[in-house]
Amino acid sequence: MQKFISEQNLHTLLDKLIAEGTRVVAPRMNAGTPLYEPLKSASEMVADQLPRRSGKEAFFPLCEDIMTYEKEGQKVTLKDIDPARFPETVLVGVRPCDAAAIPVLDAVFSWDYKDEFFLERRKKTTIVGLACTSADDACFCTAVGLSPSETRGSDLFLTPLEDGGYACESYSEKGEALIKGHLELFAEPGNSRAVSLAQPQTEKFDLKKVKAWLDEHFEDSSWDSIATRCVGCGACAFVCPVCHCFDIVDEGTEKSGKRRKNWDACGFWKFTHHASGHNPRDQQPKRYRNRIMHKFKYYEDKFGQTLCTGCGRCIRLCPVGIDIAQIVEEISKK
Amino acid sequence: MTKSIDTSIYAAVSEAIRAEAQRILSDGTVTAIVGYAAARRKGSAQPIVISSADDAAKLIFTPACVNNLAVYLTKAKKEIPKKGKVGIVVKGCDLKALSGLMGESQLKREDLYLIGVPCAGVLASTVQPATELTSDSIAPKCTECDAQLPGGCDFVPPQAPLTPGQTRKYAAEIARLEALTPAERWAYWKEQFSKCIKCYACRQVCPFCFCEQCLCDRNKPQMVDTTPRPAGNTAWHIVRAMHLAGRCAGCAECERVCPMDIPLNLLNRKMAKELKELYDYEAGFEVNDKGPLNSYTEKDDQSFIK
Repeated sequence: MQKFISEQNLHTLLDKLIAEGTRVVAPRMNAGTPLYEPLKSASEMVADQLPRRSGKEAFFPLCEDIMTYEKEGQKVTLKDIDPARFPETVLVGVRPCDAAAIPVLDAVFSWDYKDEFFLERRKKTTIVGLACTSADDACFCTAVGLSPSETRGSDLFLTPLEDGGYACESYSEKGEALIKGHLELFAEPGNSRAVSLAQPQTEKFDLKKVKAWLDEHFEDSSWDSIATRCVGCGACAFVCPVCHCFDIVDEGTEKSGKRRKNWDACGFWKFTHHASGHNPRDQQPKRYRNRIMHKFKYYEDKFGQTLCTGCGRCIRLCPVGIDIAQIVEEISKK
Repeated sequence: MTKSIDTSIYAAVSEAIRAEAQRILSDGTVTAIVGYAAARRKGSAQPIVISSADDAAKLIFTPACVNNLAVYLTKAKKEIPKKGKVGIVVKGCDLKALSGLMGESQLKREDLYLIGVPCAGVLASTVQPATELTSDSIAPKCTECDAQLPGGCDFVPPQAPLTPGQTRKYAAEIARLEALTPAERWAYWKEQFSKCIKCYACRQVCPFCFCEQCLCDRNKPQMVDTTPRPAGNTAWHIVRAMHLAGRCAGCAECERVCPMDIPLNLLNRKMAKELKELYDYEAGFEVNDKGPLNSYTEKDDQSFIK
């Protein structure tokens, strides 16, 4: 279904959804930093900046409670968190690199174990993608087969038009339902052309060749030269739209507390540190190798997909300038 | 008003660093050098460790050479070869950290070959690496720099940096925060800490965070909540600020690398200001065996004893 929606009507739509009790998540400024966060009003939305963290947290939050405990005398009460209570959500203004990440994550969260926290949120969320109009030289979506107009993952996709407003196309029943539920705010598509979209400068990677090299080079001296500089923080994984490792901790007192799920990162020295004291990834280059292997080999082996959407966040935010686009490009030329 | 900052000496400084690196690697003075090399993105730079004289040509110094490379010589980073002397390229702010590490017995001067950089400033983390250096794009720490020419190095290129007088960005922000009520200040930090994602980039780049196991990574007992939630986030940043008081040399790496833009160096500058007022102490190029908080003199402030 193809429609047109004006900027003003988009705001009206979002305000209406908020008033109806729908959780509307979109890029907004939080103490000077753009983040995907629930809006109180559509006017908070900032469409022109790539949020610092990706859209994955609408489905897989940075930290969430998964269980609570209470102890009274000898009686211990355990309570599961009920995912049925998760609110209906519309995630708006999602960049193509963030929207395309969600179907990639579906694979791992609905594989042998069905992660009901992720899947319930997924079921209840409508994703409204937004074509991307600016790229810097850290962007490389085009190198991993996506683009600034990629609609994968979006239920509804908005393309900004030269004369204002957005061309609006639905790609799923959820997207169509959002239009049909608010038909008065949409118009028939007009003649206005799309604004010129972003043009990332990176060439397409030969991902087959990359994987072929990775298949054969678990041990290779280049891991040292690539990652000796890695200082072992979790910035790359935490800003990544598709990194999905998590850790589970109990926090509270003897009387009551919560079991919580947090994001984890393979850069951390503790990541695969065994209780015995042994760590199979005992040096930083081995941990960084895991990052590359997981993205361009293991996930391909297991799910036939690439665990990277080329958003460039890890490149921009790496404290020591590690550049995954450069690393993968170099591997593809070996 | 935006003032441009003259970085024309950096080309000659880079040349001089390369020539010196070539010499000391060829004649065996050092086994390796930690420096900066150009990276893929336009204007960008990244840390590099070289051990062959042939690689000396890769070394550069530009406004994008933001890292404090001292972190690579600390215990937290065991991968850098420690056999024989190691050369390191240091800006004045980085050298202060190295001096602190020597004072804390983490490094020995005789194991290092210091290549000092005459520095007019580096770029803020908020701008693209190819940005021209101006009074707007400069890293906030550089606006308060008193160490443009590192002292006591083995080699410093002869060029002299020129920088215009600048507004001291931290001093201004600290004054603003000090003028707030405690409740307003608390609200400010609460909002900032709420953005923390516990990626520990601040800790991992800090030359003084050299504990082999950070207290905050321990879970028997759990000292600080590890989840990125208000209690654990606040505890983490306050623990860190207190642990760095009297030690932090102001390289501002923690703030530069924070992916969530938390102004962490403000905490460290505030602590440094207190230390200056209480103990007349400032981090500098000299190596002190005992910092202000682990030594006692009769001149110390006693007013808290009532």
